[in-house]
Amino acid sequence: MESSVAKRRKLGHSGVFPFPNGTSSSSGASAFVEAAGELLKDVKLDYAKTFDGVDEILRQFKDTIEAIEPHESLPIGDASTKFEKANRIPIPYPSPRPNKNSNYKLSIAKPAQVNVVGSYQLKTMIKSQTGLAIDMIVVMPAQLFQDKDYLNCRYFYKRSYYLANIAACMRKSFGTTMEFTFEGLHGNNLLPVLVARPKGEASYAIRVIPCAPEDIFPSAKLLPTTNAVRQGADAESKSAPKPTPFYNATLRAESQYTAYLRLLNSTAKSCGAFKDACILGRIWLQQRGFGGSISEGGFGHFEFAVLVALLLQGGSRKGEPVLSPSLNSTQLFKATVQFLAGTNFQKKHLLIIGPLPSDPSTIRQNNPTLYDSARELNILWKMAPWSANLLQQQAKWSLNASKDNTFDQFDSEFIVKVDQPLQMYDLLLKVELPSTTEFLDMSNYRGLGWDFSEKLYQVLKKALGDRVELVSITMPKSTALPISASKTTTPTSSSLLVGLILKPETVNRRIDHGPSAEEKEESSRFRNFWGDEKAELRRFQDGSILECLEWEKDSTVSIPEQIIRYISKRHLKINDDSLEFYADDFAPIARIGSSDAQNFLAARRALESLEREIRDLRDLPLHVRQIVGTCPELRYTSSQPPLTAKGPPQPMDIVISFEASGKWADNLAAIQRLKIAFLLKIGSSLEESNESIKTHLGLDNADRDTQNLAFLDIVYDTGFAFRLRVQSDAEENELEKVIKDKTRERHVQAEAAELLAISTRLYTYLPLHNQAVATYCMRFATLSASIRLVKHWFNSHKLSCHFNEELVELFVLQAFLKSYPWQTPSSASTGFLRTLHLLSRWEWNEEPMIVDTSDSLEPMTSSDRSAILARYNECRRLDPRLNRNVLFVATSYAQSGTVFTGQGPSRVVANQMTKLARAACELVKAKGAELDPRSLFQSSLRHYDVVIRLDPKVVKALLRDDGIKHSHFKNLDPQTGRPSLPLAERPVKALLRQLNAMYSPALVFFHGGKDDPVIAGLWNQELASHPRTSRVNLPCSFKPIKGDDASLELDRQAMLAEIARIGGDLIEEIDVKDGN
Amino acid sequence: MAEPTSSGDSFSVLPISIPPLPSFPFPATHHVFLRRNAKILTAEDSRSLFLVNVPVDSTEAHFRAVFASLVGAGRFEGITFEHDKRATNSSIEPAQAARLAAHSKKRKREDEEAQRAQEEAAAQLPPAWSRPLHRSGSSAVVLLADEKSVESVLKAVKKLQKSKKFPVWGEGVGDKAPPLGPQWLKAHNKLSYPGSDAMQASVDAYFTLYNKKEVEAADLAKRMRNEPDEDGFITVTRGGRIAPAKQAEAEEAKRRMLEREQKKRDATQNFYRFQLREKKKAEQAAFLNRFQEDKEKLRMMRERRGNFRPDR
Repeated sequence: MESSVAKRRKLGHSGVFPFPNGTSSSSGASAFVEAAGELLKDVKLDYAKTFDGVDEILRQFKDTIEAIEPHESLPIGDASTKFEKANRIPIPYPSPRPNKNSNYKLSIAKPAQVNVVGSYQLKTMIKSQTGLAIDMIVVMPAQLFQDKDYLNCRYFYKRSYYLANIAACMRKSFGTTMEFTFEGLHGNNLLPVLVARPKGEASYAIRVIPCAPEDIFPSAKLLPTTNAVRQGADAESKSAPKPTPFYNATLRAESQYTAYLRLLNSTAKSCGAFKDACILGRIWLQQRGFGGSISEGGFGHFEFAVLVALLLQGGSRKGEPVLSPSLNSTQLFKATVQFLAGTNFQKKHLLIIGPLPSDPSTIRQNNPTLYDSARELNILWKMAPWSANLLQQQAKWSLNASKDNTFDQFDSEFIVKVDQPLQMYDLLLKVELPSTTEFLDMSNYRGLGWDFSEKLYQVLKKALGDRVELVSITMPKSTALPISASKTTTPTSSSLLVGLILKPETVNRRIDHGPSAEEKEESSRFRNFWGDEKAELRRFQDGSILECLEWEKDSTVSIPEQIIRYISKRHLKINDDSLEFYADDFAPIARIGSSDAQNFLAARRALESLEREIRDLRDLPLHVRQIVGTCPELRYTSSQPPLTAKGPPQPMDIVISFEASGKWADNLAAIQRLKIAFLLKIGSSLEESNESIKTHLGLDNADRDTQNLAFLDIVYDTGFAFRLRVQSDAEENELEKVIKDKTRERHVQAEAAELLAISTRLYTYLPLHNQAVATYCMRFATLSASIRLVKHWFNSHKLSCHFNEELVELFVLQAFLKSYPWQTPSSASTGFLRTLHLLSRWEWNEEPMIVDTSDSLEPMTSSDRSAILARYNECRRLDPRLNRNVLFVATSYAQSGTVFTGQGPSRVVANQMTKLARAACELVKAKGAELDPRSLFQSSLRHYDVVIRLDPKVVKALLRDDGIKHSHFKNLDPQTGRPSLPLAERPVKALLRQLNAMYSPALVFFHGGKDDPVIAGLWNQELASHPRTSRVNLPCSFKPIKGDDASLELDRQAMLAEIARIGGDLIEEIDVKDGN
Repeated sequence: MAEPTSSGDSFSVLPISIPPLPSFPFPATHHVFLRRNAKILTAEDSRSLFLVNVPVDSTEAHFRAVFASLVGAGRFEGITFEHDKRATNSSIEPAQAARLAAHSKKRKREDEEAQRAQEEAAAQLPPAWSRPLHRSGSSAVVLLADEKSVESVLKAVKKLQKSKKFPVWGEGVGDKAPPLGPQWLKAHNKLSYPGSDAMQASVDAYFTLYNKKEVEAADLAKRMRNEPDEDGFITVTRGGRIAPAKQAEAEEAKRRMLEREQKKRDATQNFYRFQLREKKKAEQAAFLNRFQEDKEKLRMMRERRGNFRPDR
């Protein structure tokens, strides 16, 4: 709607108000621009403070390096031994080290140029960066090199020797104030650099990077398709040698430092917002775990800046610029992210920015490619296919978030730490790197980690097929070595972390169909890949004969895990021991089984048949309008699926409503009795019509007889039981009349409002909620399990007695609907963790939670939204101290926002929830993949003032026989054969309700699941800390303070003794915290 | 209920010692505060005591035992707890009857009232708990045999401060009070299902009474319609010659009227140029407004969080 305004403004000519800058599309966007501006202000580094005196150090460095001792060429063997002996610095040659007897000559000469490059010089560093590094390049003079030095690592040997010499003279000059280490630049073994860190507090490092003079080697020799590493074997066999794209690109990049420096500087000059866009890009990448080093995906700030710079020059199909220099920083950033989201760097069509090279086929290769033809370099040369995929996916998620106007996208773009493996991936596994060099490609110098990962990636991708959305591999980080340390010869054992995002619809498919038996070539390939012991030929119902695979459905090992274990053993010889699966065991904690779905479905079917039976009753005075479920069992979300518990039948709540009628009485109490009469009638008719039904009329917990008084328990032989309540329009009409009637007393009106809230919640909102959640459980395959996990979490931390189950369901649903910056959760564990993440970030005292449960056909309009916000503001204005409503959760069907939060939680409890969720998220973040899921559900009782332990045996006995003594001998027992009474209320819940009613303000009780044998309590601090003088209207039990007759204090001892008396044998022990 | 006096002095403290239980093996003392009933309205009030902070599990039997140990048996007549006094049940009368009752001054005969009370009791639903509890810190009124007993109770309580021989809670109650604990919860489940017959009887009793009252109310209305009251006014009651409009009809009429208005408004909008221009202006103003709101939101966010800092 806003955009149409803008358009009309352009067409018409009524420019009344000037539009604020950057508000091109919507107000959400303008807020985003503003916030990004603020963010930029906050993250920018104070260069003068952080890098105090750095310029002086850099100048000294430059002088020292330029004064390097030159020497004439010596054979490599002699030169190395001489240097190492003299300086005790092992030369950081890339492995394999050069042959001592080679006849390369090494020499040293004054560098051609020493220069500072990178983000220090561009001033795009930020505060939250992990390591601040200043890059200083040392351009080695051209006379050191020969034409053929691009071959067989010769350049890199010379470079290492040069670096070692620099290190030696640097150590001489700065050894006392600086610490020096060797490090592979971006984890690349070919490129050791010298890292200088000032001793003391300074937080930065200076990297001295030797590099080649511009265009010293012909670029044609270093194309991605050429080979520059000749090996003995290759020379003998006549076949074309394998290309070495990584080696070539590394070498090519060596000579392009200054070229890129020029590019970035000129762009910064021509486009004012470029630097800010780069900073935004840096934050975005950093929050997503991307960095320039190979283990971080090979796409860092430098690559982002170069990409923006290139997109300002070209990049579209026709070669026109994608970005315009007049855009502001947020627009530049967003457009670049959009470009990343829309670009597949691995497709057949090559991405070339700049003039087309003469022969595009020479740059074609399997790895991600974005070719900068002006500098003849693939700027993604450090990226593996999986990291390119991940980058694109991340960009897509961000883009999705920014399309959703109704959501505060800012946090998800820049503030939230996205690269938390457990929040992102559904399945995580650790793979030990093999110690053999079987998978190592000796000629490309990428290292075993990458070569092995590539193989693993291909195998997994092929084996899992459409079961996964994304496969991502994190390679081990390379480590820095002090310059004098001798290189450890054996690499420390390291491992890869593989993350999978699953497709919930297909991941648990039992049978994979392969090619038909007739296609000989295809099927032999299939058999080759899967092996004869797994692949089998089967004939299917439609007559086709296909190759196929079968996986075990009911095994304790999940199907993807079975596949991964099988296929990696087959193709990569990985033993089961060197594979470790993480975070797969969330489901068993909450006892979520694979057959639960059937139980839920059966319950819904039973309700359908009950509805049919009630509709068929002839003698009801009114027509039945509808019968709907209102309990978690009937919407796939109860922690325990229906029919799985032992003991007496557990009725599921349902509501019946009749056609509108004028025959209801006009007195509330009378309406309630009429409802009882209805229930009695339904009960007797049902029992008559169907012999397998028993009905029991039960009393509801009503304080007043204007509330709903009774329910009807309908118990089937099959074990299903329903608890029926009657809805009556007349009741709501009467209450509304009282509320509107200005002549009534205030307290009568307040009471009526309360009653109305209760009855609309029960009869209007719960059925709607039931329907919405059930629908979403069908749409999102993992929602049901996630909800049950979250409920289990609330239970384990004894919060569930303060939170309606509906409320918890809405939290989870919100995490699914607004899943930014990630994808919609595709497993129970991610759904669970994201909900905790959502709760940890939700500042409920400042903002409402709006769960848009409407379907896409009728989305929530912005006026709905502003109405909800207005209601929220009003609610907070009336109750600024949050005494009544603490949480405000509105949905499309219950827009008042307080329907499910009216009965709690209180501020104390809500704080507790946030605290626990934050702690859990911290733990998840800190532990990463190593997290033990059980630890999230462990709760300590230590911080409670009172802990009431119930005797589980007595609880069980209460559940087993509901007050009727059964004889050991069935034939003596008159009760046998007759079904036992259902439970009106779980006994522990009944006790808790009574305790709450008795001690409501003084003691706040905490209790978990329905039969949790521990009830914990906290004393109300306000009551406990202030002695009172008045003896009338006591909120709870008090006693006189000794020595001060006038004042009273809380009588904790007496109250606990009372609780002990109420509980009797049910209570085993009451623990009191010391100091109380 | 009695208003608090300026100081707590008028209350005496009646300590009751609580025997320890296995689950909470500590001796405790419960302090009940008592005084003479401050408001003397009926004759009974002068021989009653006002108690504050009665234990949650109090029953009449418990207090009978406590008072017996203080002043001997026979002085205690009964106790009314705060919870019982507050009328929890609304009137049975149909709405019209309730309205009219305010106007009518006719008093009912005593025996009629007694019968009514009986009928009302029959219409009540059976209780779901074998032994109701009382909110912690709540009050009660104890009715004693005579005014002298009040004096002697107060004296005995005073003496307790010195002798320290406090009455023991639950002593001498025996099985006069239903047990708490698991039996109590078990009984609750059983009482929650009183059986269809009992419920049917209760509902029937209720509606007999309800219908009776409705008839009475109709009679009364008829009478009042015809008889002017002492000031000469005639009460307007339902059931005159012209029946009031049905609510549904009234709503329908209102809806139609709104619809008509809406139609009229729609037809005259977006027609003239100035209307379009003004609409645009309004939209832009709304836009700017939203922009300001966003700015404000951002400012609030800043205030709350301090600096923007990407999470680590």
